[in-house]
Amino acid sequence: MRRARTDSRRPPRSPASEHPLLDDDSQDPFGADAASPPLLAFHRVVSCCQDATRQVTILDRISFQLAQGESAGLYGAPKSGKSTLLKLAAAIELAYAGTVRFEGVDVARIGVAQRARLLRDRIGLIVDDAWRPSAGETVLDHVAVALGSKGVAMRHARRLAIAQLDEVQVARLAAESACGLSLTDRARVMLATALVRQPSLLLIDEPAPLPSVTERERLIALIRQIAARRGIALLLAAEDLASLQGLHCLMSLSQGRLLTTKVQGATVVEMRSRRASAAERP
Amino acid sequence: MIAGGSAVPRGWMRGSSTPLRGALLGLLLERPGHGGELAHRLRVRLGETWRIDGGDVYRLLEALESEGLVTYSEEPVRGRKRGTRTVYRPTERTAEAVSDWMQTLLPREPVRRGIEAKLAVARRADVRSLTVALRRHQQECLALSQMLPPASGRPHTWQELLADCKRDGVQRLLQAEIDWADCTIQRIEEHAASAH
Repeated sequence: MRRARTDSRRPPRSPASEHPLLDDDSQDPFGADAASPPLLAFHRVVSCCQDATRQVTILDRISFQLAQGESAGLYGAPKSGKSTLLKLAAAIELAYAGTVRFEGVDVARIGVAQRARLLRDRIGLIVDDAWRPSAGETVLDHVAVALGSKGVAMRHARRLAIAQLDEVQVARLAAESACGLSLTDRARVMLATALVRQPSLLLIDEPAPLPSVTERERLIALIRQIAARRGIALLLAAEDLASLQGLHCLMSLSQGRLLTTKVQGATVVEMRSRRASAAERP
Repeated sequence: MIAGGSAVPRGWMRGSSTPLRGALLGLLLERPGHGGELAHRLRVRLGETWRIDGGDVYRLLEALESEGLVTYSEEPVRGRKRGTRTVYRPTERTAEAVSDWMQTLLPREPVRRGIEAKLAVARRADVRSLTVALRRHQQECLALSQMLPPASGRPHTWQELLADCKRDGVQRLLQAEIDWADCTIQRIEEHAASAH
């Protein structure tokens, strides 16, 4: 694989002495010949940005793994770096240090074109403010067009789009204009747009930005059910814990550090129930 | 995760009143006092949400005395009344016991009580133990949040509605704990950084 040396998006790597947080990366356990790599793996990922006079660290040596079909929630206050983490996971941005691997492949070492293909075919990214329907576009066309870039013929794409809208329970909106949808409907159409491409990983920034509590819970329950049924791995980032229930593991970001409830492949909950049932056995 | 064993007896760090006992010892290290005064100082330092009861304080002082962490003496009362009153003091083992408590992360402590008590009487040297305790507190709250059953989506029965309301309350509480711990760590670290 060609090293992406001329990739303008990648910041120049400073020598270790210039950034106190840069560590030796040779401890990466997910080398190219690992047996069955997790779907998504962050290893000591650092992300920073320039803020007037100094360098601000947004993510400080973040490490976690997400297996195929696994679901994880990421909780963090506003401005805690959740969106940055999702962008790194979608390979839209590159880390300052550390590695991000998707299906075992280091996303920093593949070209821009290949990363774009990942985002189109394998990874679904839903960010609320990315909603930009074209004027006069129907909901059906808006979803179908998402498949067009994959080279699917429009008639077939429309059939897939209808089925997808049905799965998110808004098939009745197919002929409606994509502009002027209610918040709830909009959220479901955005979900359909991402799901119709059949990603193996779904990244959602604020899964249910809706005013009603019950609407929020219903949408999130729907997302969980679809992901579980189709074996899609899920990473939801939210500013409230209530949106992140019923997932395999929970993480939280504070001061650039990551806390997680996952312990070597199992969650803390599973470990405790295993211990409890082991204690019960005669 | 309990810190490695030491020579100081650990027996006193047991049960749900451990945070209160730790705070009492911390106050005694600052200044000896009689029972009523200590109860008052505890109330001021820990706040009204703790619902400090004078009787509990006396019982705890007696328990700590039998553990050898508190000693008392009868002293004449200054002022109008004649007679003596019992004044409690720390022993030579109290300081080490408090440091030990600061570093110990007891499993299954009631949410937040332990941290509040430690914050109430921590000394400058305990800053590292506090940060570790706060991180651990965040971790525990995260795990507790994950153990909550998810919302069904639409409650059909009265019981389901009540369960939704209660679960919502617990989630908000846990989120508040995580945010507060985050903010507190930030304050402590910024203060420590600016002091240098």
